Amino acid sequence: MKRFPQAILLVLSGTGLLHISLLTDLYLRYVKEWMRPMLIASGVLLLVLGVADAWSQRRPGAPRDRGERGTHEDHDGHPHDHSGVPRAAWLLLLPALSMLLYAPPALGAYTASRQTSKPVAVQQDDFEPLPAISPLPLTLGDFTTRVRQDPEQAVKGRTIEMTGFVTPVERDEGWDLTRLLINCCSADAQAVKVRIHGGEIPPADTWVTVVGTWHSDGTLGTSSAAVALDARTVRKVDRPADWYRDALVQPLPR
Amino acid sequence: MRSAGQRSGVPYGAAEDEVAPVAAEDEPQLRRSPLFTPLLLLGAAVLPGTLVVVIGLWGDAPAVQAWRNVCLSISVQALPFLLLGTALSGAINAFVPARVFDRALPRRPALAVPVAGAAGVVLPGCECASIPVASSLIGRGVTPAAAFAFLLSAPAVNPVVLTTTAIAFPGDPSMVVARLLASLATAVVMGWLWLALGREKWLRPTVRHTGHQPGHSRWTEFRLGFQHDFLHAAGFVVVGAMAAATFNVAVPQSVLDTFSDSPWLSVLFLAGLAILLSVCSEADAFLAASLTGFSPVARLVFMVVGPMVDLKLIALQAGTFGRAFAIRFSAATTVVAILCGTLVGGILL
Repeated sequence: MKRFPQAILLVLSGTGLLHISLLTDLYLRYVKEWMRPMLIASGVLLLVLGVADAWSQRRPGAPRDRGERGTHEDHDGHPHDHSGVPRAAWLLLLPALSMLLYAPPALGAYTASRQTSKPVAVQQDDFEPLPAISPLPLTLGDFTTRVRQDPEQAVKGRTIEMTGFVTPVERDEGWDLTRLLINCCSADAQAVKVRIHGGEIPPADTWVTVVGTWHSDGTLGTSSAAVALDARTVRKVDRPADWYRDALVQPLPR
Repeated sequence: MRSAGQRSGVPYGAAEDEVAPVAAEDEPQLRRSPLFTPLLLLGAAVLPGTLVVVIGLWGDAPAVQAWRNVCLSISVQALPFLLLGTALSGAINAFVPARVFDRALPRRPALAVPVAGAAGVVLPGCECASIPVASSLIGRGVTPAAAFAFLLSAPAVNPVVLTTTAIAFPGDPSMVVARLLASLATAVVMGWLWLALGREKWLRPTVRHTGHQPGHSRWTEFRLGFQHDFLHAAGFVVVGAMAAATFNVAVPQSVLDTFSDSPWLSVLFLAGLAILLSVCSEADAFLAASLTGFSPVARLVFMVVGPMVDLKLIALQAGTFGRAFAIRFSAATTVVAILCGTLVGGILL
């Protein structure tokens, strides 16, 4: 690879990173928010590196570096990179341009529909009493734990409010209220789902707040209990800022 | 990017044909003419643009969008760690004299291996960072066996990874201990294995890590080495990200649970899954914790294999050390990691 395109590649990658992390919040579609300072630093570093490289070539009499020296093309047009950067480096152009021009949307119903709901890993014994408000806001994970493990059956008869996006269900009743959780980047996304019964099925990937009561199926507080809700109202809402988390839209009143 | 060069070369050559029939013989000179670089850049700009439009036509399919998201997210996630690794590697190359390593590591390679393996704790980064660092260590005269032990242990036993493992498996400290021991054992065994069986000729000769040359500016050396290493590695990370995204989208996770019945099959299956998923070592504990259908030993193997061998790393190793090395080393590491994981898991879990 020649020197000048290398500089272009570095500048494009740096600008792309800055575009998704500093100028916009697009990075939240791919990684967690704690990555932001690292992404900005990387973007600046790549930009500086690219500009410095381009600048050093503008200077007359600048020494030609090894990348140039090792590369020459023979008659059938195959460049021989003896010590230069391999052509695979051009692949960096794909994420760079993708970040700049054509950022893919966040993961949603397609990914969630292909996963089973994240199992409740830990057996929880101590359950705090639920606050006496109605409707009671719960995260999907808390609801799952309460339904499956709480021996006090505290959710019984309670009106519950949960927020997530819509994942349609094939060959079954209702639809899944869903959140995708990521720990590092969206390659490790895991779905947590609650089956919603009753009412019309909203279009896939719509963010909704559902208010309803536990869908009575199985024994509450045991693993036989259905993680499901009988919906009373389904209301469209804006997508929350931290959509790759299973968090309440508004903190509980104290 | 040859296709881009050809693309831009076509109208150029055609126009030349009309006025000068000898254009073909002149081509070597023409290619070096001042017009060539702008035309190459034009081609480089046009080709991805065309690709983007073509992708855009069917890019709204949810599967394609999910693929692009996963592919980009693995790349974005890897870039800062890759920069950190290449910066370290460039700094080692330009600023650290070779005698420092002679003092720090035991003279005998067999002893240097476990020391280097334990030293992996100091690099709390993703696995992408450790490969360029290991490469520059070899360039500075560290015995390859010790550098490989470091390469394998750095992403697997660093404090960040152990902490996330403890968080992912609450109330189960034996899993953290088992992960630490099994990963260290794998790294050290692989180092010794390289001493016993490894051949230098499998390694691509590295001419670039020559250290500081008298008469050159250290900063320029650092910058050029840094830039070279980063571009070199980044392309291969994208290859790995594409492969991992393809697997991620093509195989639904719900089919995974079908393999959890047989204890031996499940160990092999999760080892294979770790290789294909290419999740970074800081996140794989959470994934392992969610695979509740599988035995603890199988999940331990998943966490031991994952940071050491996966699609992204194989691509990166092939780019850094050469294909002959990457194939042998990854295959051997997989076997050793499965054995160590099973052994340690069988005793501790």
